[in-house]
Amino acid sequence: MKNVLIALCLVLSGSLFSSFIQQGTDGDRLLGVWEPSNGRARVKVEKIGSKYFGKIVWLKEPIDPETNLPKVDKNNPDPALQSVPLKGYRMLKDFTYAGNNQWTGGTIYDPLNGSTYNCTINMRDNNTLDIRGYIGVSAFGRTDVWKRLQVQRN
Amino acid sequence: MRKYLAFAAFTGLAFGSTWAQVDSLATEEEEDYSLYDNVSFADAGTKAYCTNKIEGLSPSKLISVGYDYQLGYNLTSINTPGGQVQDVYEQADFARSNGMRLALNVPVISRNDLIVQLGANYWNQGYSLENEGIDNPIAAGLAANGLRTTGMNLTVFKPFDETRFFLFQGSGDLNGDYSFSDIMPLKYTKYSAAALYGKRVSDRKMWGWGLARTYRVGELNYIPILLYNSTNLANTWGTEVLFPARAHVRRTFNPRSMLFMGYELEGNSYRMYRSSVPQNDLEIRRGELRFRFVYERSLKDFIWLSAQVGYRYNYSFDADVLPEGQEFFRGFFGDQPLAMEQSLTNPLYFNISLNLVSP
Repeated sequence: MKNVLIALCLVLSGSLFSSFIQQGTDGDRLLGVWEPSNGRARVKVEKIGSKYFGKIVWLKEPIDPETNLPKVDKNNPDPALQSVPLKGYRMLKDFTYAGNNQWTGGTIYDPLNGSTYNCTINMRDNNTLDIRGYIGVSAFGRTDVWKRLQVQRN
Repeated sequence: MRKYLAFAAFTGLAFGSTWAQVDSLATEEEEDYSLYDNVSFADAGTKAYCTNKIEGLSPSKLISVGYDYQLGYNLTSINTPGGQVQDVYEQADFARSNGMRLALNVPVISRNDLIVQLGANYWNQGYSLENEGIDNPIAAGLAANGLRTTGMNLTVFKPFDETRFFLFQGSGDLNGDYSFSDIMPLKYTKYSAAALYGKRVSDRKMWGWGLARTYRVGELNYIPILLYNSTNLANTWGTEVLFPARAHVRRTFNPRSMLFMGYELEGNSYRMYRSSVPQNDLEIRRGELRFRFVYERSLKDFIWLSAQVGYRYNYSFDADVLPEGQEFFRGFFGDQPLAMEQSLTNPLYFNISLNLVSP
């Protein structure tokens, strides 16, 4: 019985420690809601496991003017994904914190043309991100500046 | 005991990770998206700016490797009463005119309030002459040396707010019959520029107007310019216009396949640097209208094919004498005599290129 109690304590403390490590890293500064420069969407960055993902939580034009229905990912090259709603779509995937205000190893998806690019995120300051999408090497890319948003709680 | 400890440590780490994931996924399922309707910038000083694109525009090309091919045509050179060249030359018959076209464009500054892009280009135009031993030194020079352009360009996009912007494009081109082993001095560089004020009135429409210093009509000219880019709601039709340089109607089949119908005004002033022509300072004022269909599609991911077919209409192939490359302005209404009038017949042309397009 004593051993079982010790094991339970260790399980809880290990879990708490793990959680503390994950939530307390510098990398978590990326968490929050961000707006790309074109203002057409708002993206919420979340952490799943040790990686960071960003999903679309707001669209300037949520309704497709052609169908009068909520916008779906109709430009996706994979026909099976063309009916997936854009709201909730994870356009940033698989980023890990590399230190020095950089998140690397991820991809960014552009719903306007259905293309996925390699991507590096650089936090210029706490409220500004340089999001560089590129093809193969960083020189062949484009940087977009995203701004942090504050959600107004009612 | 050691087994318990190992099990506990593993279980604890695994639970920690799983809890984070489950928590996040649960949040996703329960997400109340209406929360994000009412937001403000975290940094109170943040200002929003318009972008340099609208929805549906054809993608920008980072690297382009192309080949241009004009079918056969004739060149007639006529002496001009007030001009410096008084000989009468034999008509030249060109079987074809063709060459490589390379371009590179790299964004160097990408900020919300400023975009700067640098580019380089190289065009080579060869002339295949059918007349042997022709008495036409210009045609013979073109056939022997061809014409080429090597240039650099700069594009600056400066938005003022969410709708208004300023666009500047400048370029320096070395045009002539030089070779890289016998290159012309840089003093013969031709400088072009365009400045434009515009408005991005919506995500599907932007327009602007401004002034250009250009050699597109062959010789130096200053002309007003008009920008008009638009896309319809369904993103099936649009326009991409920078008048008078180019104007196209765009038919979008999907974001990776587009057809353009329209024209491009293409030209520059080319120095006969190596060819043995009557005047050492002769420059050919080449300007042509290309009425065309352009089909562009993604071959794989970011590699795009662009295929053109069209009609090349000669606007100018006249020649001026420019001692030491000193340029002058004739414009549309000046009366300075040409050194030589030259006319070309108008052939069909084809152009194909592979392009790496920008994100």
